[in-house]
Amino acid sequence: MTWTRRHSQLTTATTAQVWDRWTDPTTWQVDDPGVAWAQFDPAVREGATGTVKNHGTPPQRITFTRVEHERAMDFAIRLPLATLTVTHDVEPDGERTRLTHGVTIDGPLHRVYAMLVGRKLARGLPAVVRTVAAGALQGAAR
Amino acid sequence: MTSTATRPTAGPHVDHPVPAVDPADAPDVDVVVVGAGLSGLVAARDLQQRGFTVRVLEAADRVGGRVASATVGGAHVDLGGTFVGPEQERILALADEVGVRRYPTHEAGDNLLMWRGDLRRYRGLVPPVGPAAVLDLARIRAAFERLRRTVPVGRPWDAPNAAALDAQTLGSWLHARRAGPASHDLMAVVCKTSWGCEPSEVSLLHVLHYVAQAGGLDALLDTRDGAVEQHFVEGSHEVAARVADQLGAGVVRLGAPVLRVDWSSTGVAVHTDRGTTRARRVVVATPPALRRRIRFVPALPAPHRQMSQRWAPGILSKAYAVYERPFWRDAGLSGMTISDEGPVFITFDTSPADAARGVVLCFIGGDHARAWDGLDPAERRVRVLSALADHFGPQALEPVGYTDQRWGEEEWLGGGPTAAPGPGAVAELHARLTEPVGPVHWAGTETARRWAGHMDGAVSAGERAAREVAADLASPAPAPTPSKETRR
Repeated sequence: MTWTRRHSQLTTATTAQVWDRWTDPTTWQVDDPGVAWAQFDPAVREGATGTVKNHGTPPQRITFTRVEHERAMDFAIRLPLATLTVTHDVEPDGERTRLTHGVTIDGPLHRVYAMLVGRKLARGLPAVVRTVAAGALQGAAR
Repeated sequence: MTSTATRPTAGPHVDHPVPAVDPADAPDVDVVVVGAGLSGLVAARDLQQRGFTVRVLEAADRVGGRVASATVGGAHVDLGGTFVGPEQERILALADEVGVRRYPTHEAGDNLLMWRGDLRRYRGLVPPVGPAAVLDLARIRAAFERLRRTVPVGRPWDAPNAAALDAQTLGSWLHARRAGPASHDLMAVVCKTSWGCEPSEVSLLHVLHYVAQAGGLDALLDTRDGAVEQHFVEGSHEVAARVADQLGAGVVRLGAPVLRVDWSSTGVAVHTDRGTTRARRVVVATPPALRRRIRFVPALPAPHRQMSQRWAPGILSKAYAVYERPFWRDAGLSGMTISDEGPVFITFDTSPADAARGVVLCFIGGDHARAWDGLDPAERRVRVLSALADHFGPQALEPVGYTDQRWGEEEWLGGGPTAAPGPGAVAELHARLTEPVGPVHWAGTETARRWAGHMDGAVSAGERAAREVAADLASPAPAPTPSKETRR
């Protein structure tokens, strides 16, 4: 009942820098070429909602489902007979930081949505993770 | 001539008056060669062997151009041109002559493919991208090979429908052929490796001709009987260094970028900020795009100027991780990987023949290189090692040495491995690569008839330019006088 893909990468950005990048809605369209815009309160907390507009689709309501300061931030999108969750994890790894983004689809129609949207999202994960890390480092330099 | 030679020049590279020098004055040497890459050095050496006096002016502080070497973690690594194949007779002959030895690229074991998030082992040339994708790849490849056979080597403009082929990019052709995602992505790997660009950036005619020059995709890509079959024990740069040594003391002048070339039917005056050299002929052995960093007086004909503007280089960066030993071989791995994730999209095991160190050569090209090149050194290193760890495990995170080379950041090269002309820049302009303008002749790997973009092409182009100049100087007729257009 679950389909999932993740991409993980090491970076010199700190967990705080990554967290700042994740929780800034104005950077989502920069870091993910599929996103047109995003709106949410940067002081994210579990249960909070926001809106994400992807190119070519109507705006979608997102709900933050897991929020751990400088550690994790997941949000979910309700689909008919499925839930799409975008996961974000960051943790120290020696002198580096391991940054992981993922896509999980749960529900009776998870295979269908995996074919329709999951694979495309998964293929974009490496580029998004790289861009988030670069943006986190740039943010620190500002 | 004096009126142009005495006034302050307006070009981007000279902001001070150039001394008045008439190219017709008594020459200092017979031939000036601009650029001390393999091509320029070979041209100079061949001319010297024919009895001509030469001077080589190199902008950088070293010889070699797009070949460079370093010692990292106790291992020798080639930062630029690395591999040679059995069909590349000119570089092999030159290396043999100067005593630089070769050894085979390691290929024993399984290759790895990181594809759509999964890591897969495979042997042979066909990555395991799924039966349907393999069939699609075979279809696309067959269509490509059929088309490239229609392109005459050395004369791409004579291909049937040359203009139409040149109006497309490799990417638009793949789209028109309804190539599947796997075929597109694997052709993108070829594109990044060969031209340092994305399929959407490079002229289809150029791609077809480049592959035709090599004799086909297999000859271009294979580690067995192909262009990556062997590499040099002492390094490719050693070939250039030994040729430079043969030229003798004082012939090669480093740190001397050529700012301006005054030319007439009788000769040239080649200006650097250290002085002027008068010669009977000049061989410009730089990448095509760098020709426009030299101010020619009178100006080159318009097609030559356009060619240098439109034959920009791609961007292909390299990174090396050096380990105590090639530990991946213990797991039955060859060290060769292909990835659709980046930034590293292809790797080779370039460990020394005695495996005293484990060396992984990583390529980062096209869009990946544009993003990666701009990162600070620590982040570049972490990203490369992270990608290697995805393939070879956490041991890959702890090398004894690491280095990278960003050719796009090199002031006097601006990219690599070779030119990647976009659509419309080949059918009309390719012929200008080698066409002399008065006493100005051209070399550089891009001007080669075969193996352009490779070290072999650099050598054969230098040899061709030397023959051309020697014949020109032996001819009783003076070089053509600049046309009215070029005098403007």
